[in-house]
Amino acid sequence: MRRLIALAALLCAYAAQAQAPTLVDDILVHLAQHAQVRAEFTQTRENPALAEPQVSRGDLLFVIGHGMVWHTRDPFEDNLVLTAGGTSRIDAQGRLTRVRDGNRGVSQVSGMLQSLLAGKSDEAARQFTITADGTPQRWALHFVPRQARMARVLAGITLKGDDFLQSIEVDLASGERTVIAFAGTRDAGPLTLLEAKVLGVP
Amino acid sequence: MTRSPTTLRAGLFAFVAVVACLFCAWLLFGRGRSPLQTDLLAMLPSTERHQLAEDAVERLAKASGDRMILLVGNANDDAAKDAARQLGTDLGKDAVFASVVAELPPFDLDSLVTPFLPFRFHLLTPEDRAAIAAPGFDAIAALRRRLNEPFGATVGTRLTDDPFGWTQHWLDRQPWNRANLVPEDDLLTAHRDDGSYVLVIATLAGSSYDDAVQRRALAALDHAEKSMVAGHPGTRMLRTGAIFYAAAARAGAERDTHVVGIASSLGIAALLLLVFRSVRPLLVAFLSTALGVVGAIVVTVLVFGQLHLLTLVFGAALLGEAVDYSIQYLCARANTGPTWDAQRGVRQVRPALLLALATSLLGYALLALVPFPALRQMACFAIAGMAVACASVFWLLPALLATPARKPISPGLVKLALGWQRIASGRRALVATGMLLLLAVPGWLRLGHDDDIHLLISPPPSLDMQTRTIQDIAGFGGGSQFWLVEGRDAEEVLQREEALTDRLRTWVDEGKLKGWTGISTMLPSARRQTEDLAAASAIFCRSAPVRDAVGAEASSSRVNMETGATSCRGQVRSYMVAAGFKGEAADAYEAAFPGRPFTLAGWLAMPAYTPFHYLWMSGDHGTGSIVVPQGQDDTRLLRAAAEGLPGVSLVDKPASISALFGRYRGYADVWLGGALLLVGVAFVWRYGPRAAWRVLLPPAAGIVLSVAALGYLGEPLTLFHIMALMLVLGVGANYAVFLREGEPFVVHAPGAAYAGVLLSAVTALLSFGLLALGSMPALRHFGLTLLFGIGFTALLAPLSLPAVKTQRMNKQHTPREDAR
Repeated sequence: MRRLIALAALLCAYAAQAQAPTLVDDILVHLAQHAQVRAEFTQTRENPALAEPQVSRGDLLFVIGHGMVWHTRDPFEDNLVLTAGGTSRIDAQGRLTRVRDGNRGVSQVSGMLQSLLAGKSDEAARQFTITADGTPQRWALHFVPRQARMARVLAGITLKGDDFLQSIEVDLASGERTVIAFAGTRDAGPLTLLEAKVLGVP
Repeated sequence: MTRSPTTLRAGLFAFVAVVACLFCAWLLFGRGRSPLQTDLLAMLPSTERHQLAEDAVERLAKASGDRMILLVGNANDDAAKDAARQLGTDLGKDAVFASVVAELPPFDLDSLVTPFLPFRFHLLTPEDRAAIAAPGFDAIAALRRRLNEPFGATVGTRLTDDPFGWTQHWLDRQPWNRANLVPEDDLLTAHRDDGSYVLVIATLAGSSYDDAVQRRALAALDHAEKSMVAGHPGTRMLRTGAIFYAAAARAGAERDTHVVGIASSLGIAALLLLVFRSVRPLLVAFLSTALGVVGAIVVTVLVFGQLHLLTLVFGAALLGEAVDYSIQYLCARANTGPTWDAQRGVRQVRPALLLALATSLLGYALLALVPFPALRQMACFAIAGMAVACASVFWLLPALLATPARKPISPGLVKLALGWQRIASGRRALVATGMLLLLAVPGWLRLGHDDDIHLLISPPPSLDMQTRTIQDIAGFGGGSQFWLVEGRDAEEVLQREEALTDRLRTWVDEGKLKGWTGISTMLPSARRQTEDLAAASAIFCRSAPVRDAVGAEASSSRVNMETGATSCRGQVRSYMVAAGFKGEAADAYEAAFPGRPFTLAGWLAMPAYTPFHYLWMSGDHGTGSIVVPQGQDDTRLLRAAAEGLPGVSLVDKPASISALFGRYRGYADVWLGGALLLVGVAFVWRYGPRAAWRVLLPPAAGIVLSVAALGYLGEPLTLFHIMALMLVLGVGANYAVFLREGEPFVVHAPGAAYAGVLLSAVTALLSFGLLALGSMPALRHFGLTLLFGIGFTALLAPLSLPAVKTQRMNKQHTPREDAR
């Protein structure tokens, strides 16, 4: 995952070099034009073991090549920083502490998603078969694991969007499903001092 | 009547020699497995306190064992993967490989999770344990957080098996989850800025040190690599493994043996032909030397069970010294002319030869005292070889050289020898030597020293580089430094290792270390597992006051495990249901508690841990474990990590060896002085106190001057230089002795005795000097020192003769002349 984020910086160059611009490339080039994005998110997690879906809401800031700040406001207050270096938590006083076990909690799959948000497709293409439908204005990307052993766990991932990414859906073979819907996606504008510091943006 | 016992003795000797030759051939070639040892580790001295540490060193060095570890790289991801697949298929076709893994065998991701579930409450990360045990731990909030993690779904443990994520955290720490290589398209792959790298592992069907396996496997690899590169241009292959190091060592040693052996044989042959102007002396000299070598091989293999490459190279150089004895005898024959009697000849050279043999053996015996297996073997080889070569002169050569020589020694050489002898003897020469010794002082002052391990082990830099790159890309540990943890039993070892790793954890946070590999990450001590369970119990089990209606002790909040079974119901269920789980899911999780502890037997039996068995040591030499650091090689820092921890010590074999080199280099001066003294005593006994110093002067001055020459050359002094100086003493003393002893017999031919000495010296220079061209630094130092030492000593040898010897030879010559 760390590697994915680190490589995200190269995305523009890669995306520009794509030989035959397919819909996938088009979409990724499009996404990559927004280097710093803010959005409101609603994450819904369904699992056969859960009485009802878990829903959390908050806002996020995504900066290509640096990582993201995932700020959950409901049902609890939590401010996570996900970067190439690992996961950290910002406490109420604005201090940053490393979450050691958070590293892989944001697993390979989510790492791949992050790199995709950054428009970087070849890392994802090694692990997944990627197909696209729709138009560059209203599209869907489908990811199916290329490796059988992974496919036995992960059924697929679907990304939908228009100018920006609108939703991510992760389906596990166990019947677990997580949907993250984004709203109010916009270019981030200037970062706060704290945001710049925790993401290491100069 | 004199010929009969000579012939009888020679016949007996020849018979024994033939038997020895056959035996030697059988030892070398007849037993299926060559006794030639290519394992560099085998020649290193034991440096560690005790055997367990030595075992650990060997364990770690062989962790890669009889495998080739190959990394196929290409800028293009698909090309890299196709190339790796092709390489795997090609190698797999050759029976020399027991197995080749490129594409991963099918396995279930589940197999890396499910086997751990029974132990899950005994296996917690230190952070989780601390978090749960902290006052005010809110289980419901922890569950909510876990359920609402960014991106939710993970591919590790199932939510119902591990609602808190503890087991996932613990599994994330396991070594296979920390490797840089990830399975992609069924290949273990790493991506770097310069492209993709794919791992291919080929396991040999035999030992890495087996000559036949080595050759065949390398040929197969070479062939497969060529066709791989042809099929996928731009592909490169990195390699590492014991087999490559062994092959490099063998190739270097073989080249050295050939160069030294062949070149010195040719040189010596030409020289002998030139000097004796007849073929017979040449053949006789080679026969004597060959018998010496055969004897040396037989004795060495019998004593050590094997023959190290280093010994073989050194043995090739020994030719030049072994041939000295026959040269002395041949010179005596050539100088005597038509009145030659083989037996009288033997009597004539015997004192000189015995004295020379004694001083040589003394030098080598001192070498044998050094606790280096390699040096001991070389000493043993030399002692046996010298003794046999000398014996052949006494017992075999008289029968072969019964007829007088047809021609005397080449007059040119004699004239040359006499010329130099006149210059280099007498008072003026003494003064000149004194001046030379003064000139040596600045050279001595410039001397540095070097005790690096690379003196003995110097693999090709490109191989070392590939190994480092592979370690870097694949994230394998490696390196030769590690901590050894010892204890009475497994539990104590694990507890002690945990004391170390607790410290290392803070180091990782401080950035002093990247990580480590140790067994306690996989198998915590029973004590720690009890702590883990106790921490988990706080979540599962209601504390006593809540349960006990009749007002029990309110303070006993920690539940003991026996009552745990009865009181640990319902609590975690209530937490989970509150966090949003269904009741059935919570019931199943609760029912799994407390599970059972993970044991050493369980660890050994778990397939996922098989590659890490080398970290655990248990056997005759005690119980212990190895902890390998990653991302730090500063010995001082690593040593500091073990400080104050009982049973934990840093083992750093290269550093230990360097320290040992340094220590023995210090002792070696004393030994050299001692040896000089011993030789001096022998000379006093033979020549009397007033003449002994003269005989001792050439070798002593030779040593001083060669050390100075090394200083001027900027060569740092190593243990091997000093070892070589001992040989200079042993060999150099011979020359003084030969000259001193030989002179009375060649009064009619001035310079002839010295001509013999020069001949000996030149043959020695030819062989030892060629050693200076060798590939192994230790042998190169040996060779260079001997080159200087023997050169100087031979040139200074005339000093050993009384100053006015040319005029009053008969009166001056003194002691017990038993040969007449």
